[in-house]
Amino acid sequence: MIPGSFEYFAPTSLNEALDLLKTHGDDAKVLAGGHSLIPTMKLRLAEPAVIIDITRIGDLRGVSEPDGKLVIGALTTHYELESSALVQQKVPILSQTAAAIGDVQVRNKGTIGGSLVHADPAADWPATILALDADLKVAGPDGERVIKATDFFQELYTTALEPEEILTEIHVSIPAANTKGVYLKQYQAASGFALTGVAVLLTRSGDTCQKVAVGVNGVADVAYRATGVESELAGKTLSAENIAAAAEKAADGVDAMEDIHASPAYRANLAKVYAQRAIAQLAS
Amino acid sequence: MASWGEARDSRLIGQRIPRLSGADKVTGKAKYTFDVNQPGMLYGRILGSPVTHAEITAINLSEAEALPGVKAAIPLIEPGKRVRYQGQEIAAVAAETDDIAKDAIRLIRFDYEELPYVVDVEEAMTEDAPQLHEDRPGNQSKPGIDERGDIEAGFAEAAKVVEATYHAPVQTHVSLETHGHVAAWDGDNLTVWASTQAVFGTRRDLAQHFNLPEDKVRVITEHMGGGFGSKFGPGVEGRAAAELARKAEAPVKLMVTRKDEHLVSGNRPSMTQHVRAGATKDGRLIAYDLRGYGTGGISGGAGFTGPYVYHVPNVRTEKFAVSINAGNARAMRAPGHPQGAFGMDSLMDELAEQLGMDALEFRRINSDSQPRRNEIRQTEYTLGAREIGWHRRNKVPGAGRGVKKRGIGMGCGQWGGGGGKGTQARVTIHADGTVEAVTGTQDLGTGIRTVIAIIVAEELGLRPQDITVKIGDSAPGLASGGSGGSQTIGSVTPVIKTAAIAAKQKLFEHIAPQWGVEPEALRAASGKLYLASDRTKTISWKEATGHLGMETISEGGYWDEELRIGDVAGVQFAEVEVDTETGVVKPIKIVAVQDCGMVVNRLTTESQINGGVIMGLSYALLEDRVMDAQTGKMINPNMSDYKVAGTMEIPEIKAIALDTGRKVTGIGEPPTIPTAGAIANAVYNAIGVRIRELPITPDKVLSALAEKGKA
Ligand SMILES: Cc1cc2nc3c(=O)[nH]c(=O)nc-3n(C[C@H](O)[C@H](O)[C@H](O)COP(=O)(O)OP(=O)(O)OC[C@H]3O[C@@H](n4cnc5c(N)ncnc54)[C@H](O)[C@@H]3O)c2cc1C
Repeated sequence: MIPGSFEYFAPTSLNEALDLLKTHGDDAKVLAGGHSLIPTMKLRLAEPAVIIDITRIGDLRGVSEPDGKLVIGALTTHYELESSALVQQKVPILSQTAAAIGDVQVRNKGTIGGSLVHADPAADWPATILALDADLKVAGPDGERVIKATDFFQELYTTALEPEEILTEIHVSIPAANTKGVYLKQYQAASGFALTGVAVLLTRSGDTCQKVAVGVNGVADVAYRATGVESELAGKTLSAENIAAAAEKAADGVDAMEDIHASPAYRANLAKVYAQRAIAQLAS
Repeated sequence: MASWGEARDSRLIGQRIPRLSGADKVTGKAKYTFDVNQPGMLYGRILGSPVTHAEITAINLSEAEALPGVKAAIPLIEPGKRVRYQGQEIAAVAAETDDIAKDAIRLIRFDYEELPYVVDVEEAMTEDAPQLHEDRPGNQSKPGIDERGDIEAGFAEAAKVVEATYHAPVQTHVSLETHGHVAAWDGDNLTVWASTQAVFGTRRDLAQHFNLPEDKVRVITEHMGGGFGSKFGPGVEGRAAAELARKAEAPVKLMVTRKDEHLVSGNRPSMTQHVRAGATKDGRLIAYDLRGYGTGGISGGAGFTGPYVYHVPNVRTEKFAVSINAGNARAMRAPGHPQGAFGMDSLMDELAEQLGMDALEFRRINSDSQPRRNEIRQTEYTLGAREIGWHRRNKVPGAGRGVKKRGIGMGCGQWGGGGGKGTQARVTIHADGTVEAVTGTQDLGTGIRTVIAIIVAEELGLRPQDITVKIGDSAPGLASGGSGGSQTIGSVTPVIKTAAIAAKQKLFEHIAPQWGVEPEALRAASGKLYLASDRTKTISWKEATGHLGMETISEGGYWDEELRIGDVAGVQFAEVEVDTETGVVKPIKIVAVQDCGMVVNRLTTESQINGGVIMGLSYALLEDRVMDAQTGKMINPNMSDYKVAGTMEIPEIKAIALDTGRKVTGIGEPPTIPTAGAIANAVYNAIGVRIRELPITPDKVLSALAEKGKA
């Protein structure tokens, strides 16, 4: 399988990239790690006439910690997030999520920005980014704007990003000491993507759940926050019964997907099971 | 009559000897067909049908041929003929690069009239299904019916009767090296590097196809990456490679794509069996009634076994094949057996439970009707039960506490594997001391190359690495059969052994007169010849062969059937852990006790057993060719949706290669037979709900648990 032919640009600045995007409009695709885009091009599900390779834009890569938050460049690879001491120390759920992605080769090439923009329903990042209430900073012809994670994922492979925009940074507030997070995943046996992945951030005071944030991917055609679980558990004691009752709501109001790997009922069940396991693990 | 001698006298036979090609394989030095390159070589590609069922009305290759870099294009189907499944070959091209060939495939134009199709087995048997063969009304082959005893009288005697339906999916071979060839012509001499299980069979096929004398065709298979029954001839793709090479006047490499490998290169057919079986109060199987069918696709599917292994006096079976619009079945590692064994061993457990008997005890009572196998099997039961800890299994299935429940189950298998006549081999001793063993067999990865070296080295008192084994090439003209049916070792080694004996005898005849003794007084061991009556009288191997001067010893062998045996028994035990919230089944340990006749190389024998178990557990838990009834296409013709067990799915495997005598036997196939049944029974023992349909996916486990919860 080889892709159709295309014109290739490798801009070295963000402005240059944005200009190219504006010029070529719908014909163009941004290329980051290529680990989602190139496979779809090989299958000719995508046949962009123009490729704008943004990997030479140095500013878009790496993690820093200005004023109580992590700023993650969109081009930061899964592996960099998995192995960064800063990330491991400040927001370990990010490293954990990164480690659950594909294999070493994939993690070495794939970027967090590419994964978020691609918005594969079975991708791992969205659950965690949702649970962390991250802000996504994007740049476009009219300047910059910030999209909240909860507004970002819209439909299957569709986000709030406009065609002429580039995702530049992901901003994550560093959780307080009484907040812990975990990402649990059931792997789709063949591909290793998430059949279901659940990310939980639990803020507790003593035995009480002060706040819980639950992101779920793999279940519906778009990753979501399991708000039913969150409101059910908030303010309650973290008892096994309360956790189980709250986790029951992990797929409420959700249209679960069906494919050869799982039925909708099975996916909905996994959301509940993993929500329960994740919360219980953090509560123990 | 030759013999392998006593085990205590063997220095090499039965030891753990690393395969001779191991280092080359792990360092990438070994050349598989895929790695073969020839000067000026072109790359071939096949266009497989994107439509499921159609009459081809015209094929136009001119656009493809006009693409710069394309050197030849050929049709593979005549207009007026039908394609009857997705992927069926329509045309092929050869081009300077693989990328150009891929582009050229897109430029092949063909017209067709689409025909109705059916890809679902049950639907294929309904009245208004499209009819796929003129001579198969209802898309069903004439049922094969087998009757013995008196089935009704049997059931009358039964104290307990179980009636159940078992189902297994279509499994594709997924050879790591896809089917493929490199074909090169020199005048009217054709050389083909082939990823094949049958060097000489491939030679014959190509010679006939091109109307050439066989000796004008040379087939080479130095290393190959798995066939499992799907690679017994050049196939459409091999003939296409040679035709393209002839047309383009340049060598052509044509490897089948992974997708086409799933679609057209064969499969293990599905199985559905409705069984009713009864046993007497004291636990004897007494009656067995089966109606079953299967499909491999456009052809194949009836050939599964049942009743299996166990002895039943009153039997009626009726089996037929169902045709659908999908790629056809081919032999696959123990054809018919794993699916039959899964049904039978599930049924055995169901009956045992009805009788209130221990499942192992029930098997002991009904074990094999064949005395040798029965005796071995009883030993295997004991060994395996001890190794898995049979006493630990849940007395009440599903009784374990907690979310993750463990269970233990077992299954059985039997196989032929005794080999046969038809192999030519030579053992040659040169004056410089080098030894060659030459025969036309091929090493599919089973380790036959190393086995041949071990046998010759044992006989000549040398080390395996002292023997140059030349196999996988038809050029020396020493024919051997295809490697199928686990027949290779039983066919090849008796001839190798007798050739080595004859060569050694010739060398002794050279040396004996110099020592003033009879040849019979000499022995060979540790790189020396010595006098049996006086071990201090020695001559080194090299010095001895030096006496040959300008001579060379080269001896053939014969197939001594006393050196091999068939009809082996195998038993496996599995322990699994089932997550009752997610339905995931995790194998914990599998014990495979395999009757191996005489183990020649314990290392590669265990490797074969491990491989069989892995393939069996993959069949039990993961693999399934999923067809889409709407489009008539396979949904998962890749590796990211069609899952084959990998490192992460493989539990501890305890391979017990049981020496059962001093005769060789083939065990490539038998260890894959009992695994699915053992796992299915272990799952039942863990959760108390029976899954009668493979693969046992998490989804099915949870649905079954939910059903049980409702009841
Ligand atoms: C074998 C394999 C296994 C995998 N397993 C997993 C897994 O288990 N879990 C998982 O989550 N993922 C998995 N992936 C996907 C992987 O994580 C991808 O790397 C990721 O989804 C896309 O990131 P990328 O940098 O490769 O993006 P690309 O493929 O380069 O781009 C993806 C899409 O995003 C757009 N894009 C990229 N960056 C930007 C940007 N900064 N601004 C705007 N648009 C942008 C592109 O135009 C394209 O549409 C797997 C991939 C492979 C090949």
